[in-house]
Formats: sequence, structure tokens, C-alpha cells
Amino acid sequence: MITILAEITGSIQGALGCLAAAIGVGLIGTKAVEAVGRNPGASGKILVQSIIGMALAEAVAFYALFLGR
Amino acid sequence: MSRVTPLALLFSFLATGLPAFAAGESHSVSPAAKALFSLGPLPVTNSMVTSWVVAFVLIVAIRLAVGRPKLVPSRGQSMVESLVEGILDLTSPIVGSKVARATFPLLVGLFIYILIQNWSGLFPGVGTIKHFDRESGQWEELIRPGNADMNGTIALSLVSFVAWLYFILRYAGPGAVLYDIFGNKADKKEIPAVIYYFMFLVFFAVGIIELISIAFRPVSLSFRLFGNVFGGENLLHAMSGLQKWGLPIPFYFLELLIGFVQALVFTLLVSVYIGLICNHGDGHEEAAHGDDHGKAKAAPAHH
Repeated sequence: MITILAEITGSIQGALGCLAAAIGVGLIGTKAVEAVGRNPGASGKILVQSIIGMALAEAVAFYALFLGR
Repeated sequence: MSRVTPLALLFSFLATGLPAFAAGESHSVSPAAKALFSLGPLPVTNSMVTSWVVAFVLIVAIRLAVGRPKLVPSRGQSMVESLVEGILDLTSPIVGSKVARATFPLLVGLFIYILIQNWSGLFPGVGTIKHFDRESGQWEELIRPGNADMNGTIALSLVSFVAWLYFILRYAGPGAVLYDIFGNKADKKEIPAVIYYFMFLVFFAVGIIELISIAFRPVSLSFRLFGNVFGGENLLHAMSGLQKWGLPIPFYFLELLIGFVQALVFTLLVSVYIGLICNHGDGHEEAAHGDDHGKAKAAPAHH
């Protein structure tokens, strides 16, 4: 186990942060597209909400990349 | 102006991209911007100088476009008016009708400033004009986008935070703010008295957590903007270092989109923070009226 962990090179902190952010943004996109499919007239409002949500989810990636050591 | 001058200007403009071909290796951009000179004890970085130049150009351009505002708008004035109205329509449902007019200068200023600062990173010359830096022994970029420096983004987020404090204290009042954060929102008629008095403790603890979250807002605002713009700058440098002819083009479009989205998100988040406290009055009154109307209509219908 230790040898496998030692083989991992690069920043795992950044990798995990970006992984979580990407999954979060993808989930928001999924639900946004679904919502527009159900109610196409609300697509403007849904766009605004989803952009806010995506920006908040993506910010965590920047915390992991820049706030850590 | 002769015909030669615009051509000469165009060629010299494009020639500022030539130094990108000079450096062989590509090194990543350093997160901290280099200080060019010092005003007294404070160092002034190249990002700060860029942000001053862009702000000056922005003020002059909008002033020239609008000129003196007339009732029948000229083309420049109608362009500025449509932009301004677009932001107003976007943010006034979020902050509520009470403070929509008052917060509007802050929000439109934030949006246009951040948008043009982000897009200034795409001009020819930004990032390509390099000077030889003796400390690191490499060619460092001379012009850097204003938001690729933590100084710029921290300044923006602190200004937004102070403005948020001003708006909620002036328009909602300290009482409404304290109620919103610490207040007991349980309904006294629906739950027994013991649990109601216990909820005071629970909501107090929730308020403490919310204070921590509020204190984190300037940090998150500044880091989000810095990360996006600095990351875009780094990406463009890396792609240009990899393959100069054609590979950076899709990344320029990505940077255009990111610049616009980040300006929009910053503005919308500031308006959401203001609206969370200032937009309550209408919502509660409407909900109460709706309940009363609903109960009044339902009672005769049942009988």
C-alpha cells in the first residue's frame, strides 16, 4: 500500500479538488438541462441560477489549488 | 490622417506579439505579480498599472460614447443604455425593489470593471511584451491583466464587503440583520413552548456558523476571480509555448467566455448577498397575504 501511495506523483491535493469541482459542475449542468427540458420558457432564469451554482462549485477547485501549501 | 498611419498602427500593434516567438522555453507565470516601482512604502505591480490604464481607457471611452446624454439617444448612448438596462433587469429581482436603484451603481460598476479587466488579458501585448528580470534570470512579462494579481481581486472583494455592510445597515437596519442571522424563526403558534424557547439556543448556534460563512465571503470572491483569471493567463502562456500557430485560438475563446462569466458571477453574488437580507420584506408580506387569502377562500368553500 505504501509503495502504491509513493508512486503517485504530482499534487493529489489539486487533483482531488479539481475532481470534485468537475463532478459538481457536471451535476449542476445535468439538472439545468433537465429543468429547461421540462419548462423551456424558464431557460433564462435557469441559466442565471446554474451559472451562479457552477461558479460556486468551481471556486472550491481554486481553494484547493491556491489556498493549500 | 493619412492612409499610412492606421496601417502603421495596426502593424506595430500586431508586432507586439513577436516576442512570444523569441523565448524558446515556456515557463509558467508566477502567481505573484512583479513590482515595477514603489510609491513610498507600497510596491506597485505591473497588474496595478494595467488596471489603472484599463480603468482610464474605460472612463474615457464611455464618456466619449455617451457625450452629453440626449433624449433621442445617439448610437453610443443607446449601446451604453442597453448594457445598463440589461444589468438592471438582471439584478433588480435579486436585490429587491427597495434597494434596486441604490445598489445599481455598485453592481454595474463591478460588472463592467471586472469584465473589461478580464478581457484586457486578451489584447496583443499583454503577456507577450517581456523584460529581462535580473532576479529570476528569465524574460518576465511586462503587462499583466489587472485581476491576475491578488491585490486587485482582494481590493474588489473588500470594497464589495464594505458596500454590502453599508447597504444592509442603511436599508434593512441592524435589527433586521440581527434577526436574519440570529433570530428565532420558529412559529410560536405551531410548536410547544418548551421547544420554542430551546430553539433560541439552536438559532444562536446557527447564527455563529453563519457569521463564519459571511466572514469567508470576501475570501471566496477574491480567490474565485483570481484563480479564474490567473489560470487563464497561465493556460494561454502554456498553450502559446507549446504551439504558437493555432493552438491558442480555442483557448482565447474560452478566456473570453470565462472573463464574461466571472464578471457576471461576481456581480450576481454581490447582489445575492445584499438581496438575502434586503429582499425579505416583500417575500414575507406576500407569503402572509397569500396564506390569509388562501384560508379565507378555503373556509367558505369547505362549507
